[in-house]
Amino acid sequence: MERKILVLGLLAMSLAAPGVHAQKPPAGPAQPVAGAVDAPSIQALKDMGAHLQTLKRFRVSTELTGERVLKDGQKLQHTATANLDVVRPAKLHAVMSSARAERELIFDGKTVTLYTPAQKYYSTVEFDNTIGGLIERLEERYGVELPLADLFRWGTPAAPLDKIESAMNAGQDFIGKDLCDHYAFRQSGIDWQIWITAGGKPLPRKVVITNRADEARPQSVSVISWNLKPTFEDSIFRFTPPKGAKKIEIVPRKTK
Amino acid sequence: MKRSLSEFLLASLAAVVLVSFAMAPIAEAAGGRAGGGGGARAGAGGGGGGGARQGAQINNSRADVRSNDVRSTSVNNVNVDRNTVVVAGDRGGCCGGGWDHPVAAAAVVGTTVAVTAAAIGSMVATVPPGCVPVNYGGMVYQQCGGTWYMPQGSQFVVVNPPY
Repeated sequence: MERKILVLGLLAMSLAAPGVHAQKPPAGPAQPVAGAVDAPSIQALKDMGAHLQTLKRFRVSTELTGERVLKDGQKLQHTATANLDVVRPAKLHAVMSSARAERELIFDGKTVTLYTPAQKYYSTVEFDNTIGGLIERLEERYGVELPLADLFRWGTPAAPLDKIESAMNAGQDFIGKDLCDHYAFRQSGIDWQIWITAGGKPLPRKVVITNRADEARPQSVSVISWNLKPTFEDSIFRFTPPKGAKKIEIVPRKTK
Repeated sequence: MKRSLSEFLLASLAAVVLVSFAMAPIAEAAGGRAGGGGGARAGAGGGGGGGARQGAQINNSRADVRSNDVRSTSVNNVNVDRNTVVVAGDRGGCCGGGWDHPVAAAAVVGTTVAVTAAAIGSMVATVPPGCVPVNYGGMVYQQCGGTWYMPQGSQFVVVNPPY
């Protein structure tokens, strides 16, 4: 909001200052066009999305460092981790850990359960759909966000790439031992970067998101690890209430 | 999140012990975590996670009240439209901060003045009898009439009603 006002203000100032427009651009080598969408960078996202959609059975883990901005602009970091065991199209077992809580989400394609092991509380909702459908439903109706939800959107219509206003190749870098291509994007209120493993089987290894809506520019950094030959059993996708577990109500999100 | 259930259930008549009246803290950043090692777990095969904390509990009772006075948080997913406006208050200061729920902290010292007997931010060792656990936005609260509690280490902190 503040930012929009600022932008409008700058716009007004520049309109009021014809001298700015009168300046000729300096001659010389071709200047990169600000805000240009580099087509190969978009293609890299498409290729990664397509590859992600081919993965049928995997474990993916993330270590997240996030930031929150205090009233005066000072930033505090926090950390969280998540492990997702996945069998497409409709089996998911997620374990999410942060300072506040350790939580599990278990989905077998018919029923989704949210479980907090410390208190043995669980909530169950019937939902006959895919993981992608589950993600949207949980967010929309319950305000529950799944870690690494983007992994299930890339390569589908849920991740439209035409909203990207700027895309560039930022070179290469190592994430762990993996050589990665580094891309940077801008869209609406956020800047984001992604490191995609180089070679024929592109996987996201790191994602950085910067919130431009706040001038303090809080970021989240997710380092992503993959195991494409996981050893889990399919029984982990069925929730059986442990002894002493108590079923509690899950309240749909309400708008204030 | 290793608060003990038994302690919680014991609340038959257990008096509410006000551990602290200070506007106390639910900061995610404070407190150490024993065990939970870095990248070592990542990519390792095998069943469900958890259990890595070796019984260590978060204790934020010494965290500065300012650490909860949040105006905005980072965003965690790229493809969510609302990420463009994930600022404090956008979704009630409850559940809009991504899966790790940093915004939940804002609920503690939000601008809303809750009609509640217990002071927002105060810590209690147990919740009163008759409280009802409710999952809202993926987090488990204890609703005790007009007063809402959120687990905080082995204790509970009084928060503004999440909805």
